[in-house]
Amino acid sequence: MALDAEQIYTELRAYVSTNFLEGGEVEELNRDTPLLEWGVLNSMNTSILMSHIRDRFGVDVPPMYITGTRFRDLGAITEMVHELSLQAA
Amino acid sequence: MEAEFDVGIIGGGPAGSVAAAYLAKAGLKVAVFESENFPREHVGESLVPATTPVLLEIGAMEKVEAAGFPKKYGAAWTSAEHRDIDHMGFRGLEHDFRAAEILFNERDQPGVDRDHTFHVDRGKFDLILLKHAEELGAQVFQGVHVTRSDIADDGVTLHVRVGGRQVEVPVRMVVDASGRRTQLGAQLKLKISDPVFNQYAVHTWFDNFDRTALAVDDAKADYIFIHFLPVTDTWVWQIPITDTITSVGVVSQKKRFKEYGGDRERFFWETVGSRPELLDALKNSDQVRPLKTEGDYSYGMRQICGDRFVLIGDAARFVDPIFSSGVSVAMNSARIACGDIVAAAQAGDYSKERFAGYERTLRRGVSNWYEFISIYYRLNILFTAFVQDERYRLDVLKMLQGDVYEDDEPKALAAMREIVKVVEDDPTHLWHPYLGSLKSPSAKPTF
Repeated sequence: MALDAEQIYTELRAYVSTNFLEGGEVEELNRDTPLLEWGVLNSMNTSILMSHIRDRFGVDVPPMYITGTRFRDLGAITEMVHELSLQAA
Repeated sequence: MEAEFDVGIIGGGPAGSVAAAYLAKAGLKVAVFESENFPREHVGESLVPATTPVLLEIGAMEKVEAAGFPKKYGAAWTSAEHRDIDHMGFRGLEHDFRAAEILFNERDQPGVDRDHTFHVDRGKFDLILLKHAEELGAQVFQGVHVTRSDIADDGVTLHVRVGGRQVEVPVRMVVDASGRRTQLGAQLKLKISDPVFNQYAVHTWFDNFDRTALAVDDAKADYIFIHFLPVTDTWVWQIPITDTITSVGVVSQKKRFKEYGGDRERFFWETVGSRPELLDALKNSDQVRPLKTEGDYSYGMRQICGDRFVLIGDAARFVDPIFSSGVSVAMNSARIACGDIVAAAQAGDYSKERFAGYERTLRRGVSNWYEFISIYYRLNILFTAFVQDERYRLDVLKMLQGDVYEDDEPKALAAMREIVKVVEDDPTHLWHPYLGSLKSPSAKPTF
């Protein structure tokens, strides 16, 4: 079953704010928040996020997808997960 | 000349002692020639669980347990992660993820009957093994130096310096376990230095060092800790030796050491200073031995066996100590080689073909180790990702346990290799900035 993009976004946003932001300043986190630029996603929690994406959505992020463009913000990550889930389905 | 011994072993460290134990148990007449007088200091103090089956098989485990060495249940890694930035109240928040750690008993390992291995004072540990070999019937000579082995069709003559005298000892075959001195490899000109790894270590012991200072979880303070420094290809080992004594060593590129004009004090303290919390913990403890250096770090041999000779342990190969593989390779190469040596003795034929099984198995193990270590230096963030990924965690753990001799290629290695290539080829890859500078061209053993 294909996943709904909105649902992916909501869940990813909740995961990032709970796990990478210590629950602080959550209202500022939106689709365009530059996660890499602001250091929310560093090399290590990028790999943790990928583990979560695999566990929760059954989607494997291929190594060549771990780029600045695809992990720029929640909008881009959502689009990537959605696209990959369609391929997997 | 009639052979006095079936096998002459050069060196009484873990490789030589274990070989002597196996051969004596099999009823061979064996002599060990050790140039120092034990106990003596030695680097390489942390073991991996692959040593357990060997200690059990030669019957030395009880003695090792009784010695009261600190038990080692796992390994932990910490990094500085200085590249994170704070912005608008968002924090890099890596506290829980800064460290990676692994427990040996997460994976069952063939022949391993306990959840721990040991951190050892090599002076004491090596003495236990050497005495054990002697009790099993090996003849042990200490303070004697093998200067040359003359290998002929009908036997080997060892030239041994005893005090001021030179003595000739005829044996049927020779096992070189001389460690990084590589006695036979040097004599036969088999040695080649590693084109990739050119590391250097400076190390010592500290009393009253706070092992919890950099640990995320204090309960794991007695693990081995590998602390990455924010300096390219540089790391620090932290190994418990007793309740209060800790071994600490800096491993870095030799060219960095040269930049300090060989000043090991300044090199050691300035390098650990790049992790201020580590420097603080060291400054608040007491250094109990002078700083010691280990150079000539990595090398291989064109051949690890031939007619009437076999090389084992560090005398056969040395790469890098990052995964505490040294003593395990020493003991397991001894174990594997002795299988072939005993069969050769029974057949009365010590020709090179007799040791082909040893050569093949060691090549496989060393090849796996070598590539794992190469990838680790090239992209250590990848290792952290794999440890956290359930698909690969046990596979990585298997290598960390030292269980590397049976498989042609662990699947994690193939996956890691593929990812390294992707990261190298794509400058926009998020891990690209984390690439280390040690680049391995072929990563293959040369024998």
